[in-house]
Amino acid sequence: MTRLIESHGFTNRVLDWDAWLDIVELEHATPEQIAVLEESHPKAKVSDYYLFLVHQPEILRQRSAAFNAIMYAPGGLPRAERELASAVVSRINGCVYCASVHAQRFEQLAKRDDVIEQVFDDPYTAGTTPRERAIVQFSIALTLHGGTVEPEQLLVLREVGLSDDEILDLIHSIAIFAWANRLMLNLGEPEDATQAR
Amino acid sequence: MNELDIVDRVAGLAPGSQAYLTRHKREKVAAATQFSDEALFDPALPDLALRERLLVALYACALSQATSLSVHYRERLGALDIDAGLLDQVARTALDEVAEPRLRELLRFTHTLITQPVAGDKAALQRLPAAGLSTPAVVALAQLIAYVSYQIRLVAGLRALDALNAMHPHNGLPTVNPSEPV
Repeated sequence: MTRLIESHGFTNRVLDWDAWLDIVELEHATPEQIAVLEESHPKAKVSDYYLFLVHQPEILRQRSAAFNAIMYAPGGLPRAERELASAVVSRINGCVYCASVHAQRFEQLAKRDDVIEQVFDDPYTAGTTPRERAIVQFSIALTLHGGTVEPEQLLVLREVGLSDDEILDLIHSIAIFAWANRLMLNLGEPEDATQAR
Repeated sequence: MNELDIVDRVAGLAPGSQAYLTRHKREKVAAATQFSDEALFDPALPDLALRERLLVALYACALSQATSLSVHYRERLGALDIDAGLLDQVARTALDEVAEPRLRELLRFTHTLITQPVAGDKAALQRLPAAGLSTPAVVALAQLIAYVSYQIRLVAGLRALDALNAMHPHNGLPTVNPSEPV
């Protein structure tokens, strides 16, 4: 049984998300739109988020290909650490919906939730090991100061044991949530809006 | 993929360099990134002019102090016939000086998404249909700004990885400088 964590408006509860403008109704979707929904996410056909984005099917198709390759590809940075980075980015950007989803994914993969509680509480001090703290700190820095990264910031990651392949996966995981959070935050809202904002 | 894509070029990755090889081990990501760029800047995309999309991208990069990507978008804008004064206003992030009402709405939305994404709300989104954008155009605009946010971080991260490899090519071991006495 998962432990409920709630702090600063963030939660690991399952949330829903509602679009603020008209979504594509499934019965009016083109065959291309249906195909892109099926490629994007197992539940895309019942998700307002995907049904809204599929107004531009080719853009969604490529975004989903990038997202799925970044978050689910084998090898490289352990998947739990990719989920940790995306939870941190979502916490910093204020995306309650994404933070909830990726907190749950981290917990499923890592079989623990201690660092998620820390991230919700105070992301700036979060991390249960030096490696985790370095991942969290870099996730915050790249989120807040995306235009400039110094090589010394990556050297810190190497010093706690990340290979170049893992550093690349970390950069990808942080960057794709710069993308995802901006859509989730500006095109609709979590269904329980009083908790969310 | 043997030729350099946009991210390789803007990040300054030489073919065969360590950072280039590392990046292209995740070829699915590299390809989807390049195809995203092509879809978002497809000249045939209706309802949101290529000129508007490139100005939004330049503005997003200028707000983010993403120098190399700003240069990239200025070059792409150079292929279109755009008033030099307007280009300058966007590159200086002087939103209030932009005279076109529709473009100003696009840039205002961009400003929120780039600098304070949590500040957006339903009323801010509804200003876009009110300015004449169709729903598919709103989706294209939001995806474009969000993509550029991703691209900025990817390019900056890869530049740093390339620089790190120049400083410490053996994965963390410093290079021995032969001019220094041992």
